[in-house]
Amino acid sequence: MTTLKQTKQTFLQDLLDFQGSLNGKSQFLDKVRLKAADEVRNTPFPHKKDEDWRFISLRELYSEDYELAATVDVSLPDISDHYLPESKGARMVFVNGTFSREHSSTEALPEEVEIGNLADLTADDHPLIEEHLGKYGNFEGDVFSSFNAAFLDDGVFIHVPENLKVEVPVHLLFVQTDADVNYFSTSRSLVLADAGSEVTIVEDYIGLGDNKYFNLPVFEVNLEEEAYVKHTKIQRESKKAIHIARTGASVARHANYESYTITRGAKLSRNEPRISQRDEEVEFTVDGLVLIDGEQVSDTHSVMDHRFSHADSHQLHKCVINGKAHSVFNGKIFVRKDAQKIDSFQENRNLLLSRKGLVNTKPQLEIFADDVVCTHGATVGQLEEDEVFYLKSRGLNDQQARELLIYAFALETIENITVDSVQKLLVDEVHRYTERQLDSQLTT
Amino acid sequence: MLEIKDLHVCVEEDPSEKILKGVNLTINKGEIHAIMGPNGSGKSTLSKVVAGHEAYEVTQGDILFEGESILDLDPDERAHKGIFLAFQYPVEVPGVTNKNLLRQAYNTIAKEQGREELDPIEFEDYAAEKLELVDMKKEFMDRSVNAGFSGGEKKRNEIFQMAVLNPRLSFLDETDSGLDIDALKIVANGINQIADEDRAVVMVTHYQRILDYIEPDYVHVMIDGRIAKSGDKDLAVKLEDQGYDWLSDTASVSVNGEQN
Repeated sequence: MTTLKQTKQTFLQDLLDFQGSLNGKSQFLDKVRLKAADEVRNTPFPHKKDEDWRFISLRELYSEDYELAATVDVSLPDISDHYLPESKGARMVFVNGTFSREHSSTEALPEEVEIGNLADLTADDHPLIEEHLGKYGNFEGDVFSSFNAAFLDDGVFIHVPENLKVEVPVHLLFVQTDADVNYFSTSRSLVLADAGSEVTIVEDYIGLGDNKYFNLPVFEVNLEEEAYVKHTKIQRESKKAIHIARTGASVARHANYESYTITRGAKLSRNEPRISQRDEEVEFTVDGLVLIDGEQVSDTHSVMDHRFSHADSHQLHKCVINGKAHSVFNGKIFVRKDAQKIDSFQENRNLLLSRKGLVNTKPQLEIFADDVVCTHGATVGQLEEDEVFYLKSRGLNDQQARELLIYAFALETIENITVDSVQKLLVDEVHRYTERQLDSQLTT
Repeated sequence: MLEIKDLHVCVEEDPSEKILKGVNLTINKGEIHAIMGPNGSGKSTLSKVVAGHEAYEVTQGDILFEGESILDLDPDERAHKGIFLAFQYPVEVPGVTNKNLLRQAYNTIAKEQGREELDPIEFEDYAAEKLELVDMKKEFMDRSVNAGFSGGEKKRNEIFQMAVLNPRLSFLDETDSGLDIDALKIVANGINQIADEDRAVVMVTHYQRILDYIEPDYVHVMIDGRIAKSGDKDLAVKLEDQGYDWLSDTASVSVNGEQN
C-alpha cells in the first residue's frame, strides 16, 4: 500500500507540473485536464483486491518512477519500415505520444475528411471535438482513463462526413523510442463516422527498443446511423513496457463496428474495449488475438453492452501462451431489459504451449431480456500430438507442423482484416512467434 | 521394399501394454497386401509404427525400408523416403487449405528426394490430374484440410493426398470403413490407378468387400499382436464366412507368425 501511495504522489506531481506548462494553449483542453486531474485525485488506483484486477499485478507500474515522455530526449531511428503501403498519404505518426508532423501525411484522404492533431485543432473552438471527446472513452470510476485525460494534449481526430466511403485505410502509428529512463506517455484518438460513412483504421503501437515505459492510450469511436468502421489494433510494444488501453465505441442504428485487436508485445498489457449500442439493429465485432511468451501478461476485459433490440455481436478471442506467460480474459455481455432479439456470440479459446503458462478466463453474461440468443464458451488446450503426427507423416518437419497448427489456430481471428499488408505482417508475426517458441523448447 | 522383423511394440506411456508381439512381414515392390483381423489385434498400431507415431515404443525387432532400419527416423523423414499412411481418422486443420498443405508437403518431399519443387501454378495443374483419380472437384483444393468434410470426403482426401505425394509404400488404415458403395468404388479405383510395379500398398481392413475391387496378392490375419495366418485372397473370403475364431488356436501356438 505504501508503494501505491508513493506512486500516486509521484504521478500527481508530474501531472500538476505538466498541466502548468500547458495552460493557455487550448482552453478546452485545459478544462478537460483540470477536471480529469481532479478525478484522478479522488479515484483510488486499482490493486489485486479489486475484482477486476485480481489476476494481474500492477506492482511494476507502482514501484517505479516514470518520467513524462515529453521531458525525455528522443532519438528516433528511421521508422519508414513500419509504414503500411496501403496507407501512403493517410498516416499520422506519434513519437512517445507527441505528434510528428514530419512523419505524417494525409494528402491521400478525400478533402472532406477532417484529420489532424487534437492539440492543434482545439487551439480554437472546435464544437465537434468538444461535443464528443471523452464521451465514449472516459470510463466512469476508472482512474486510467481519467489519467489519460489529465495528460491530454496531442492526439488523433478524424471526422468522416455523411455518406463518404474512405477507401484508403488510415494508419495511426504510435512509436515509442528507446530511452535511458522509464517514461510515461499517453495518446488519445477520436474517430467520428457520420451517417452512412465508411472508414478503416489501423491503430498501431510499436516499441522501437527493449526499454521500459508506460503507455496509456485511449481510443474513442462514434458511429452514426449506417456507418461502417473497421478498426484493427496492433500492439507490439517493447517486451518491458506496460500498455494499458481503453477503447470506447458507440454504435447507432444500422451501423457496423468491426474491431480486431492483436496483442504481441508489452510485459504487461491490459485492453478494455467497451462497445455500447445506441439504438436498435446494430452489428459489432470485438475479435482478439493474443500471442505471448516469456513472462508476458496480457489481460483483456471487454464489455459488450446490448441496450436495444436487434443486435448481432461477435467476440472471438484467441490466445497462444508459451513460457511463463499469463493470459486473462473477462468478457462481459450485458443484455438490458427490453433489448430483445439479441444474437450474441462469445468464445475465448486458449492454446497453451508450455507447462508454466497460465490462463484465467471468465465469460460473464448478464441478461435481463428474455428473447435473446447468447452463445459463449471458453476452452484451454494444447497442440494435439495426433495433429502434429498427421502433418509430419505428410513430410512436414516438427517446426513446420507446429507452425502450421498455430497459424491455423490464430488465422480465424485475423483473416477478416482487409488491409493486405496488415494480414501479411500478422502472418509474419505468427511465424516469428512460432519460431521463438520452438527455439525456447529446445533450450529448456 | 519393407521388412518387418520380429517387431515388438508397447505403448510409450505404459510399457506393460504390449500391442505387437513379434510381427514378421515382408513386402516387395509391386505387391498389394491386405491385413485383416479383429478389433484390438494391432493392425492400426502396425501402420502407425511404420509411419513413426511417437506414442509407441519399439522394444524389440526392426523395420527395414529399402534395406535400412527406419526406427530412428522421425515421421517426416520416413515420409521423405516415400512412406505414406492414410489415416483411419484424418485430422481436421481448419484455416489451412488442402492446396497449401499439399504443396508444402509435396515440395518438402521433392526437395529431400532431389526432385524439382513446383510453384503454385505448376502445382495446381499437377494436383488437378490427381483430383480426377478420386472424382473430386477443383474447389476441394481451396477447402481447409478435412474441416467439415464428411467421413467419405475425408477418406477420399487421404487417397488424393497419396496420389499427390506419390509414395513408394502406402499403408491405408481402414480407408474403406464408413464408405457407401459408390464412394468405396471411387476410392478403390483411385488406389488401383496409383498402384504399379514400383509401389506397394498395404490395406488394413475389417471387411472383405474392398477386396472385391482391389485384388490383393497377399492377405494376412493379425490376432493378438501377431500375424496368425497368411494366404491369398481366398483367405479373406474364408474369414468373411467363418470369422476369426478358427484362427485363435493357430495364434496361440505360432511363435513368430508367418513370413512371406
